[in-house]
Amino acid sequence: MAFSRYLIILALVTGCILPSGVQALWPIPTTLETGMTTLKISPTFYFDVQIEGAPSDLHDAVTQSQYYLENDKLGRLVVGRGANDTTALANARTLSKLTLSLASGAAVEPISSEAIKPLGTRSEEYALIIPADGSAATLIANSTLGLYRGLTTFNQLFYYYRGVTYTLLAPISIKDTPAYPFRGLGLDTSRNYYPVSDILRTLDCDELGEAIQINTFHWHITDSQSFPLEVAQYPELAINGAYSPQEVYTASDVQYIVEYAAARGIDVMMEIDTPGHTAIIAATYPEYPVADFANEPPAGQLRFALPEVMNFTASLLTSVAKVLPSHYFSTGGDELNTNCYANDYLTEQQLNRTGMTLNGALDAFTQTTHGALIAQGKTPVVWEEMVLDWNITLSNETIVMIWISSADAAAVAGRGFRIIQAPSNYFYLDCGAGEWLGDDPTGNSWCDPFKTWSEAYTFDPLANLTEAQYELVLGGEQILWSEQSGPQNVDSIVWPRAASSAEIFWSGKQPTGAALNVTEALPRLHDVRYRMVQRGINAIPLQPQWCALRPDACDIYA
Amino acid sequence: MAPSRYVGILALVAGCLLPSGVHALWPIPHTLETGTTALTVSPFFYFDVQVEGAPLDLYEAVSQAQYYLANDKLGRLVVGRGANDTTALVGANTLSTLTLSLMSGATVEPIASEAVKPLGTRSEEYTLTIPADGSAATLVANSTLGLYRGLTTFNQLFYYYGGVTYTLLAPIAITDTPAYPFRGFALDTARNYYPVTDILRTLDAMSWVKINTFHWHITDSQSFPLEVAQYPELAINGAYSPQEVYTPSDVQYIIQYAGARGIDVLLEVDTPGHTSIIAATYPDYVACFDETPWATYANEPPAGQLRFALPEVVNFTASLLASIASTVPSSYFSTGGDELNTPCYTNDYPTQLQLNSTNTTLNDALNTFTLATHGALIAEGKTPVVWEEMVLDWNITLSNETIVMVWISSEDALAVAERGLRLVQAPSNYFYLDCGAGAWLGDDPTGNSWCDPFKTWSESYTFDPLANLTEAQYELVLGGEQLLWSEQSGPENLDPIVWPRAASSAEIFWSAQQPTGAPLNVTEALPRLQDLRFRMVQRGLKPISLQPYWCAIRPDACDLTA
Repeated sequence: MAFSRYLIILALVTGCILPSGVQALWPIPTTLETGMTTLKISPTFYFDVQIEGAPSDLHDAVTQSQYYLENDKLGRLVVGRGANDTTALANARTLSKLTLSLASGAAVEPISSEAIKPLGTRSEEYALIIPADGSAATLIANSTLGLYRGLTTFNQLFYYYRGVTYTLLAPISIKDTPAYPFRGLGLDTSRNYYPVSDILRTLDCDELGEAIQINTFHWHITDSQSFPLEVAQYPELAINGAYSPQEVYTASDVQYIVEYAAARGIDVMMEIDTPGHTAIIAATYPEYPVADFANEPPAGQLRFALPEVMNFTASLLTSVAKVLPSHYFSTGGDELNTNCYANDYLTEQQLNRTGMTLNGALDAFTQTTHGALIAQGKTPVVWEEMVLDWNITLSNETIVMIWISSADAAAVAGRGFRIIQAPSNYFYLDCGAGEWLGDDPTGNSWCDPFKTWSEAYTFDPLANLTEAQYELVLGGEQILWSEQSGPQNVDSIVWPRAASSAEIFWSGKQPTGAALNVTEALPRLHDVRYRMVQRGINAIPLQPQWCALRPDACDIYA
Repeated sequence: MAPSRYVGILALVAGCLLPSGVHALWPIPHTLETGTTALTVSPFFYFDVQVEGAPLDLYEAVSQAQYYLANDKLGRLVVGRGANDTTALVGANTLSTLTLSLMSGATVEPIASEAVKPLGTRSEEYTLTIPADGSAATLVANSTLGLYRGLTTFNQLFYYYGGVTYTLLAPIAITDTPAYPFRGFALDTARNYYPVTDILRTLDAMSWVKINTFHWHITDSQSFPLEVAQYPELAINGAYSPQEVYTPSDVQYIIQYAGARGIDVLLEVDTPGHTSIIAATYPDYVACFDETPWATYANEPPAGQLRFALPEVVNFTASLLASIASTVPSSYFSTGGDELNTPCYTNDYPTQLQLNSTNTTLNDALNTFTLATHGALIAEGKTPVVWEEMVLDWNITLSNETIVMVWISSEDALAVAERGLRLVQAPSNYFYLDCGAGAWLGDDPTGNSWCDPFKTWSESYTFDPLANLTEAQYELVLGGEQLLWSEQSGPENLDPIVWPRAASSAEIFWSAQQPTGAPLNVTEALPRLQDLRFRMVQRGLKPISLQPYWCAIRPDACDLTA
């Protein structure tokens, strides 16, 4: 009996010595063929950009890719971290270059221009081939944005052990294209403020564009608690509404973030939530919001029934939107509290005078604000209540974000609107941290429990929809609301969990055609997480390292 | 109706303009008297150490206090962050000196020596007086450790605005002494490894809230990062990598660093469970190593426990523990003893052979094992510490001195107390910092944290250390600690998952009650905890936000029923 156990141990150890078949890629490509040949990166490896008039942001991307190739220094996640690969490496062939080119006829534009094109018109697909014989690898795409996506994939292919950067899986052939056009991350910078450098880190080495192909930064920049956005036409909003003169996003901060994001293939979709979530506007325009009831303190919502508030809001949104290149702008619209207006003299007076209902006033307000945005060439984005709780007229182009529950997508799709899946029961990164209100020690997170990466990963974007409605799903995003977050924990609360939706909406399924599967995914996600750590991101460990080095050994039924 | 609302808003604004009565102290002192006079810290302020033969670590503590005083630069947590204090500061008196002295007859020893004395014999009390007229403040204690605690308090008294460091609450008179001798924080450095620098930073933060014990769960089934001189292979084969180890000099440095901050290091080498990785060096000593399904043989993978029935394993373990314990100054050493899995031994041939040949039960073998390992520790002058199962689940003989850690549930303290053993409160339902992060096992997307939900600071804060105990049993409660198990943690999230939450137990076990004698209360505590949290940020730590900043600068405005 003891003897047989030793045999098992030997078998296990042997298993660890063999090259693991784990692919480090995240999101997993549409098609993927790999071999079993070892291939090293040459010390003189270079990226050969065969593109006439290549934009500077493509050159920047290549420089970044070269940097990651040299500095990731990620050991394979097996026992020994690659120590057992040395014999395979001894006589391995060497890869000396990756040639980047565009498909014939492709227009040469900056990545940052491609990244902000309308959804459905961006070209993110690419083909990457790495021969086993050491001849040049090739990356071909229809746009610089596609090349950018391919570089991200290229960087994920290589491991490091004792001075050598290598793959065990040559030849490699990848054809890749996203399943959904919208793959986002939402961040609330109003409940607590995040310095620009934290936003750049989140966008950057980021894990967003450069590691996991997220292409939209949904920036919930203002709320009831603070108004950190400096708006040229309305400077008092930030002067009176930011937490401090330092905790603001200046016009140049915003432009820098937008450019930085775009160069990484990321569109910045800004949200100025209205007419709820606006209490802090009272610090500047005390007569515009009314303060009685809300989902969280402080109470205060715009008196949207008043013509002057309507005009102010439309003008404010316009002046913010017009300086942004994105085609999309969110006017929010969640959690509008009607009790707030029931005893509001100014609102009631206006409604009585005009014979309007609150719903009618909201309709007028929304038509005005959305009309102003549409005039600026923007497509409005709203939270689901604007469709499901209120009877208002929205442009057919309006994009609706599902948040209250994944069960609500069908109702929105039933109204024929395009949707972004951001359901709190799968994608809210802030859930599970307990009550944050004071004087409530036994209180729990409203959306308890914590959404693990794997729970989020099981989200089905098309659940309950008819096949005819599938095309309405533009994609989805995970979101961090910041009641209990700030720069201190942004890395650890977001990463690597936010990679779950990135794969759901890029890959849609495994290369084999099989459905995405948490057991298949976990070793790859460990790889992404450890690579993030190598790049300086404080991503949480998903398991003890013992498990990370032994794929499947810590599965529940292992 | 509209006008009356405006009046309400005005009242709110006016309330924010007035100096808040919030004290920044955490843990709140035993007695505390404050005035309403503004007092600024002089640019020439200095600490006057009137202690003959003061030890080096007291001077280092003073330097650190001076550094915090100059660099905390914490604005008061009110709207304006102190902008409205400027008029009060204009003619304010200036504080130039804090005089540190010991009571007559007190012996002068290093803080690090005082910090490792047996529980109940340490002198942590101090008296701090800050007159309103600018005359010298005084800090008096019975030991350098008491002076250290007083310096920590002194640093928390001051705010900063526009180049001025000040308090609005002079005169201040504090006499302070801990309610419980054991106030800990526990860290598991085996599931995932933490570099030494992360541990040092954590020790600093612990010292800010007067935590006095670092319970270091240094090894477990997943890795053995501790280098033991007599058993070097354990780390060579058991650490995650040659870099992810604690060398003897690392351990000594951490102990010294902790000691100088008033912190005793309680090492835990968990036995006989939680030892799978020892099989990498001594395969014959470990039963059910890496057996599957792991869930039959262990609470988490990998399976594997010491074959404690074998004489050679008894001797090895006693020798291992003794050789580690002999190098650490603490009077305490934990042998663990939690989650011992019996099915692991049911089909283990060497164990069954031994039990049959000696006609002993598994329980008796565990008794023999524990007597041997604890005997070896006692011979080294250590008091053994164990997890509750050693008392509640097994019938074994333990020294009356043994300290028992309650972890499974706060309900279990009573049963341990009834056995007459001293206990440390570490109940998972209040104090486990890792709870609420979801299932970490693979292939379990709908699984939840076994100890869900997340324990907020306020839930922890409502823990009653004496609940269900008889008055006669109260003295058995040495104190308590919050713990971070590291299945889902590492250096990447250490600060935010621990702080400021671990300060909850620090106050429970230092203060136990408010200076008024009223019980601790989450509503009273929150503004002070916000202060502590923002001071921690100023000192470079990364504690989580407890609330939106809007709430932090408006005490009580975000209470549930506000």
